[in-house]
Amino acid sequence: MIRMVVMRLLLMLPILLGVSIVAFVLMRALPGDFAQAAAGTNLISPETLATIRHNLGLDRPVWQQYLQWIAAALHGDLGTSFVTKKPVAGELLPRLAVTAELTAIAGLMALAMGGATGLASARLRGTTDWVVRVLNSVLLAVPNFVIATLIVLLFGLYFPEIGIFNYVPFHTDPAGNLTSMLLPAISLALTVSVTISENTRAAVLEVSSQDYVMVAKAKGLRARTILGNYLLRNALTPVITVTGLQLAALLGGSILIESIFTIPGMGQYLFDSIAARDYPVIQAIVLVAATIVLLVNVLVDIAYARVDARVSYE
Amino acid sequence: MSDAPRRRTRGQALLAAGGVLLAVLLAIVLIGPLLAPYGAAKTSADSLAGPSALHWLGTDSIGRDVLSRLIIGGRITLLISFVAVAIALVAGLILGLVSGYVGGGTDLIIMRLLDVVFAFPVFLLAIAVVASLGPTVRNLIITIAIVYTPALARVVRGPVLSVKRWDHVEAARSVGIGELTIAVRHVLPLVISPVLVQTSLTLSNTIFTVTALSFLGLGPPPPDPNWGSMLAEARQFMELAPLTVIGPAAAIVLASLTFVVLANGLREMLDVAGR
Repeated sequence: MIRMVVMRLLLMLPILLGVSIVAFVLMRALPGDFAQAAAGTNLISPETLATIRHNLGLDRPVWQQYLQWIAAALHGDLGTSFVTKKPVAGELLPRLAVTAELTAIAGLMALAMGGATGLASARLRGTTDWVVRVLNSVLLAVPNFVIATLIVLLFGLYFPEIGIFNYVPFHTDPAGNLTSMLLPAISLALTVSVTISENTRAAVLEVSSQDYVMVAKAKGLRARTILGNYLLRNALTPVITVTGLQLAALLGGSILIESIFTIPGMGQYLFDSIAARDYPVIQAIVLVAATIVLLVNVLVDIAYARVDARVSYE
Repeated sequence: MSDAPRRRTRGQALLAAGGVLLAVLLAIVLIGPLLAPYGAAKTSADSLAGPSALHWLGTDSIGRDVLSRLIIGGRITLLISFVAVAIALVAGLILGLVSGYVGGGTDLIIMRLLDVVFAFPVFLLAIAVVASLGPTVRNLIITIAIVYTPALARVVRGPVLSVKRWDHVEAARSVGIGELTIAVRHVLPLVISPVLVQTSLTLSNTIFTVTALSFLGLGPPPPDPNWGSMLAEARQFMELAPLTVIGPAAAIVLASLTFVVLANGLREMLDVAGR
């Protein structure tokens, strides 16, 4: 088990290296000059520009710049914001926590909705199955930012007393914080729940046709026992994998949803930074988000192996 | 699983419905400006007006006809999506086929490179690339082609791995047919079904990405309309004129739905295992 975990993590390293190169190149290969963006204006003398370039290490070979950047990142130093002149890591962390909360709530919602509809679809078949599948197809076609916009419209028109832009931090008002996350999380969860629903349905159908389920029925086990101990347990494996893989979609989606509901998470930080050409921040966000997705994928693999004894990576 | 004839009928119905929707989208792309009753920038004194005989979907904040702007704005939105997916499809076919067919070190290198792109949340990568290169139509197409290539390449590679071991491939090789010909003429056609389904789903996703980027102000530059920027503009006035929001929202959903329906139809017809 430990060997497998280590193996998985080692396999992640080359990909992480590639990810960091992409994040680095993206921000240094800009049409606008990196040093000029750092100065915050292009109305500066060539001498000042040269000083800034030197201070940022831009006069050194690109590979040295990359190594310096990545070595610092490994020590938790994600650079300094051009705008606030403060370390990016310190500014990013609280915002990352907000995004993580939104993503987690949305993920749980999607799992609950997708699991329930997928299970109902597979067990009840007939009309239920048909309704769920049609609804899923339609939901799949509605982008989360359209759902969010419509929710904002609906509540603005009919329930103006519910303040939907009243984000409150968790530590000042936990209940209010969770309430303010509800609508954003729903807009985020709906599309993702479709994938989970479809996979749950397929997994339950697959397991239902297995011999051991028939044996369990023939033995006269109660329907609930069969469902819990035989069906769900075995159908869970693929569902876990799919849910984990949806994290990238959730994280990407939350960037959009935050900007619509004005939630001060990583997404909003990203947009402020793009508008201000604050490249170290953009770079840091891209690197951190991709690293999180990679780590979760590894965790999913490990969870998969724990649940399903047949899987071995050794 | 339901029986084959029923799947076929259902597939035909879905494909017919999707085909009709696709025809509408293609009409918008090909002859959009001819269909629009007004010009995209033509203003009138009637701002934020509701639907009327003159303006079927009402007017926006400076009195421009919403329907005309939807038709003209749809053109650029769909054009970017179609061209980007076409590029991603060609790249995905080549990379997937080479990776799966050649195997070994080539396979390893191609797949790891694609893994790198895969590690980014699609939307985050798209934002970063567009923000870095600048939001022009060309850059949007490049960006979207890059982010959707890995998924397509994987869908090609998977079945290639098994098909290349089939007897007819061995037979072709034994009569002296070249490897390239075998790969293209004897392997590729057999893996095309899941690729078609995935392409259709990718188109649906691409419409999401293009409109979302435009919604955030990272789309094709103004003043030309597009669905995402129209939705963003309408948001500012939605309490006054809710209908201006519904127009672009419905257009985005319908375009996206077209390809979901087509994907479902193809899946039933071509007997691709449902996800």
